[in-house]
Amino acid sequence: MAKAILVDTSKCIGCRGCQVACKQWHGLEAEPTAFRGSYENPPDLSARTWRKVKFIETAKQDGATRWRFLSDACKHCTDASCLAVCPTGALFHRPWGAVDLDQEICNGCRYCVSACPFGVITFNERTGRVDKCILCPDRVEAGLAPACVTTCPTGALSFGDRDQLLGRAKERVVQLRAKGEKGAELYGERELSGLHVLYVLQERPQVYGLPEKPRFAAASVFPGFLMSAVASVVMGVVALVAFRERGGRGEE
Amino acid sequence: MSMSRRDFLKGAGTGAVVATAVGVDTAPVEGAARELKTKGAREVPSLCYYCAVGCGIVASVADGKVVAIQGDPEHPINRGALCSKAQAYIQVLDHPKRLTKVLYRPPGATEWQEKPLDWAMDQIAQRIKATRDATFRETEDGVTVNRAEGIAALGSAVITNEECYLLAKAMRGLGVVWLEHQARV
Repeated sequence: MAKAILVDTSKCIGCRGCQVACKQWHGLEAEPTAFRGSYENPPDLSARTWRKVKFIETAKQDGATRWRFLSDACKHCTDASCLAVCPTGALFHRPWGAVDLDQEICNGCRYCVSACPFGVITFNERTGRVDKCILCPDRVEAGLAPACVTTCPTGALSFGDRDQLLGRAKERVVQLRAKGEKGAELYGERELSGLHVLYVLQERPQVYGLPEKPRFAAASVFPGFLMSAVASVVMGVVALVAFRERGGRGEE
Repeated sequence: MSMSRRDFLKGAGTGAVVATAVGVDTAPVEGAARELKTKGAREVPSLCYYCAVGCGIVASVADGKVVAIQGDPEHPINRGALCSKAQAYIQVLDHPKRLTKVLYRPPGATEWQEKPLDWAMDQIAQRIKATRDATFRETEDGVTVNRAEGIAALGSAVITNEECYLLAKAMRGLGVVWLEHQARV
């Protein structure tokens, strides 16, 4: 049974409990940061920050500003680009949907970093490997919810069977639209054959920095694969040419 | 070193045969189970000391070390939830800047001195007594007030109802009227 996290952005108050709970459970260090005009901190996801709350300021009709919050982390795609381009098999799917990462096998090639359509995976300079949210397989397989979901004080994050959460998310979208939130929509149901992190958004995805139509990046890897096949043939021919015996000169 | 095309082909062929025989498995690996870090840990209930909400926390202790701090699901206030401040609680425990000894800085001094706890307790008791005696006011406009105006008390978010009661009782016994709470700031 596929599991998922449902992020209801309309309930998020931006307390960042999820962000720090993740750090605590996985033993990730704090990042030294500086004020850069927003309460959002640190500026981006990194090897030490697997989940962070985005603070997005949008303007209302009357010109007043409004805050939108998005608890951002790996989306655990079904068609996961990172997994498709990983040459070592360090990235793999758990049977219930999480895209897990085996640090022992990762060789730090960083293909996944450029392949991820959400820019989630980051290279860890210290270990020479990549890091990202793994959806707490230790907790989930022991019957617990991920650390971020467990700590959420407002119920903006919930965890459970994906099908049930989809139903709840759709109900919530209808509810929000009825309340006048015309822009309310569900993100993640069909994107990349289904994400395992579902979002109830109050505005268009790009407002939150989510791609409208995320692309499966392995498509752009295929030419590279072809080129390497061509290159290996060329190298073989060159080797054969280099070792050819030129009329007795090889005997000198 | 000279190598003929024949030798090169021989070497390449042998390499391919060995790789096939030994087997290079390119199939995706099955993920090993990840051990829960709180497995077998003792659960110690406590309170978050930060704000006035007073959330309950559960510290998981394994081999004398706190391995995780989570919201107490059975606590009536937070029901398992915690904000970012409480979640960062764990770093206070072993922080190198955490005070583990009594430090005393005498009036006018620039440096802190290490002192025994008993000495500090005696000092506090003596000074409370001295301040109370110096600033105690029995009457105001002919009305008996009996208050110690030179002392104020600051409570804490991390103390329980019962401890709050004892603190208030002790302070009222001294005649202190300014009873405050740290979380109200």
